[in-house]
Amino acid sequence: MLTVCHLYPDLLNLYGDRGNVLAFMRRCSWRGLSVQVREVNLGDPVEFADYDFLFIGGGSDREQALMAADLKTRVDALRMAVDNGLVVLAICGGYQLLGRYYRTPQGHEIPGLGLLDFYTEAGDKRIIGNVVLEAELAGKKTKLVGFENHGGKTFINGQKPLGSVLYGHGNNGQDGQEGVRYKNVFCSYLHGPLLPKNPVLTDYIIALALERKGYSSKLNVLDDEIENLANQAMVDRLLS
Amino acid sequence: MNLRLIIALVAAKLAMYLSKLSGRGRGSSLPGMVALRICPDLLKYYQGRPRNGVIMTTGTNGKTTTSNMLADILENEGYRVVTNREGANLITGVATALIKASTLTARLNCDYAVLEVDEAAFPIVTRWIKPSRVMVTNFFRDQLDRYGELDTTVSKVLDALNKLPGEAKLILNVDDPLVARLSRETGKATIYYGVRPDAVLSSIAAYSRESKFCPFCGGTLVYNIYLYSQLGDYKCPKCGFVRPQPDIEAEDVTSDAVGTKAIIYDHSSSSRGVWPLYIPVQGIYNIYNALAAFTTALSLGVMPEKAALSLTAYTPATGRMESFRYGNKQVTLTLVKNPTGFNQALTALLAQKGRQDIMIAINDNDADGRDISWLWDVDFEVLAQYPEQFNRFICSGQRAEEMALRLKYAGVPIMLLAMEKDYQRAVNAALQGEGAAVGILATYTALWPVEKILGQKAERVSYRADRMSSIS
Repeated sequence: MLTVCHLYPDLLNLYGDRGNVLAFMRRCSWRGLSVQVREVNLGDPVEFADYDFLFIGGGSDREQALMAADLKTRVDALRMAVDNGLVVLAICGGYQLLGRYYRTPQGHEIPGLGLLDFYTEAGDKRIIGNVVLEAELAGKKTKLVGFENHGGKTFINGQKPLGSVLYGHGNNGQDGQEGVRYKNVFCSYLHGPLLPKNPVLTDYIIALALERKGYSSKLNVLDDEIENLANQAMVDRLLS
Repeated sequence: MNLRLIIALVAAKLAMYLSKLSGRGRGSSLPGMVALRICPDLLKYYQGRPRNGVIMTTGTNGKTTTSNMLADILENEGYRVVTNREGANLITGVATALIKASTLTARLNCDYAVLEVDEAAFPIVTRWIKPSRVMVTNFFRDQLDRYGELDTTVSKVLDALNKLPGEAKLILNVDDPLVARLSRETGKATIYYGVRPDAVLSSIAAYSRESKFCPFCGGTLVYNIYLYSQLGDYKCPKCGFVRPQPDIEAEDVTSDAVGTKAIIYDHSSSSRGVWPLYIPVQGIYNIYNALAAFTTALSLGVMPEKAALSLTAYTPATGRMESFRYGNKQVTLTLVKNPTGFNQALTALLAQKGRQDIMIAINDNDADGRDISWLWDVDFEVLAQYPEQFNRFICSGQRAEEMALRLKYAGVPIMLLAMEKDYQRAVNAALQGEGAAVGILATYTALWPVEKILGQKAERVSYRADRMSSIS
């Protein structure tokens, strides 16, 4: 049995990111793997060690501040779980929060959780549009598609990105990188949502969660015709 | 006499004439765009021109319907009304509507201008034209990549309202905390409308995913009764913000396949009364639109009985639940643009009798919103609970694959899913399916081509040529 923690679904309900949790759940249950999701909202008790997959989305500035305040009280437990290989997907605001700080246009540094060594600074223009990445997952190159919409520019200090940008802007529009990876943590700016139309990434994440639990990480093949068409349609449109 | 203004208006009128002549596009934005390019401060010449004032409608959903309902009521009273009926609600659309009705020196012979204004364009339009009444319908998530987040949208509208002259009145939806807050924050005279909290209504309404936090203190709002999205009977236990008492309130709301009924109460001290209301369009949300128009009409001195009568004769604009007939099948066409509206459209589909063929056309042009992530916030899962009600789902438009993917993950059986990017073939497949009825849902830029094809193949049940939407 895999257990998914959906953090703050009441608060961070922008941009359809709940589709990521849905994709994880469906692709487990289509394979007969038993899986359950627990929604954790502000102030709810949570034992990160009990989970196999943690999802954090993004929200508006106000919601982001509420989430940061709540997570700060739990940061030690979260750090320990991450160091123990907890599989995490953090999108957009959730991504920024895991870093060291966010620097406002006035130069004020709002501290993040500091779980990963990167920082974000306010950009002069919001970065909005479709994105294609090339990522290497389990030694295989694959194209990921999504939609970015962020005001901050993130710099990952030489860590491993999720992928390199083939179309779009990515972390900061300068270094051609998108997202960041650290242990089993995956961070990205990509909405869309990310997982449903990138089944290779979803399955990779499921396999990591199974492996960490000591189960076989070999996954049954699913019929991904529609997933692949959705992915390929964007790749064709943006890269040709 | 301003030469630049005259040149701008001549150019715009010429553009209107050419667009009519060529029969292409319907020119509800382009002439305004041309004129604004020549004379950027063009709108200021229209300030103060309508004899009795300007009434604007803004908010996320229901703008077109609300604005058209009010224009109908005022026209039936014998007033001359200038309005952007076609739903072109950016500055270019507003300019086009005014230019169309005006002389080459920006003179207008009208009593009222009734203008629907996009919430992002509202601060820009009101810089030039000062409304005497503003109706605010609701604030839901919509086309985020264009607007930034909901909080930003609301605060921009708030700023713009604060800049209006002191005598401007607000007509606010009391059931939406994000709208009701505007009264306290602007200090403007306000008339509230709403639906009486009723457990029966609450149980038939679809889902909610909007943040339900107090706009003043950030505390979690507590709901006595919950209608849809963040609408309902709310209060904040932390700071005491509570749903204000509405002046005009609807009760006993019931909706079926042909229309919606309610009883309207006027609680305001000046004119107490009770009236039955019937509108020939489906959906509880249309009661809100009718209430806003009704409330505003009363505040302009229209007799309540006459306002209610005009609403009974209302015909919807393109895509606002239009009906067609194909053989003996009923065909509905609905514009979808955000999760709240889409959920309501799904509720309406589920209320239909008999198996249906569904066509969903999703585009991601600027006017649709380039980010279609919001499809994942729509509760398509409700469709999967009633698979026997549906014959097939035909996904069309530029993002047909993504739509099919969404339905697959909602749990709709794959064998019910089809993809057909070509509108013509998609409409054919839907009309000729084995279902007993057809439901077609389309985003903004897909709506017009689909409507055109449908108009050639099926018989329109309601039709008014001046109501046609445009994407130009």
